[in-house]
Amino acid sequence: MILIIGGAYQGKLDYAKDTFGITDEDVFICDAGKIDFSKRCIYKIEEFAYGHPDPLGYFQAHREEWQNSILILRDVFCGVVPMGAENRAWRQNTGRLAQYLSKEAAQVSRIFCGLEQRLK
Amino acid sequence: MTYFISGGAKNGKSTLAQALAVALGGKRFYVATMISTGEEDDDRIRRHIADRDGMGFETVECFKNIMSVADPDGTFLVDNVTSLIQNALFPVEKNYEMDLEAADRCADGLIQFAGTVRHAVFVSDYIYSDAERYSESTEMYRKCLADIDRRLAKVCDTVIEVSAGQLTIHKGDLCI
Repeated sequence: MILIIGGAYQGKLDYAKDTFGITDEDVFICDAGKIDFSKRCIYKIEEFAYGHPDPLGYFQAHREEWQNSILILRDVFCGVVPMGAENRAWRQNTGRLAQYLSKEAAQVSRIFCGLEQRLK
Repeated sequence: MTYFISGGAKNGKSTLAQALAVALGGKRFYVATMISTGEEDDDRIRRHIADRDGMGFETVECFKNIMSVADPDGTFLVDNVTSLIQNALFPVEKNYEMDLEAADRCADGLIQFAGTVRHAVFVSDYIYSDAERYSESTEMYRKCLADIDRRLAKVCDTVIEVSAGQLTIHKGDLCI
């Protein structure tokens, strides 16, 4: 599994397309609580985490399904602690999930202004 | 040489940018981009002017169209890209009503500028890693700034991220 992280609008999906030759058909775009591991690239995992009570538990339970995937997750961990409980939970859940995925990944890339920084 | 510098607030981006511009030599220009909206901004501007004192910069004001100050022989410090995009996207003269075309023109101007002047150091702000759900206009602002950041990072020789004064060089060399 390859994990691509980075801030909003940094070019994470473009990096995946350019580097791994994936097209729009290969990409599943997550929405609140919704995810589908049948596609090669899973994009906006933070949005799945936004609407799911236990995103880390879900990924652990479906571990076999994403072993060969390209996972893209926006880092949402660096700002001020959000005022709203929902956003606080989102930030924590997404951070914990990112740590788990990063440990599992064969490669971790952070995208900064369109440029790749290899973290693992 | 062209440099693109980004990172969090108060991490040393401007200090690095000034040092780079001085080291690059030639006729130095500081592009002042911020439209003051009151006492707080005036203070900030005064502090920045004092910081640059004795470094040999000529200050040129430019709030939108950066090509209007381009000089092929000049070394330019553009601090910062964020203000230029903000001024274009939310024009004060139109009561801050969002103008996407103006932001596009501003971005195109910056790319053209990078290819015109002798040396340039661009400073931007990294505002993309928090857990806030912003309003549509704020998201548009973040997206416009990120788009120009990526375009500048692509054309600039060197791309540096500054964190607490420490540098991560994402592309090219420091060369000083």
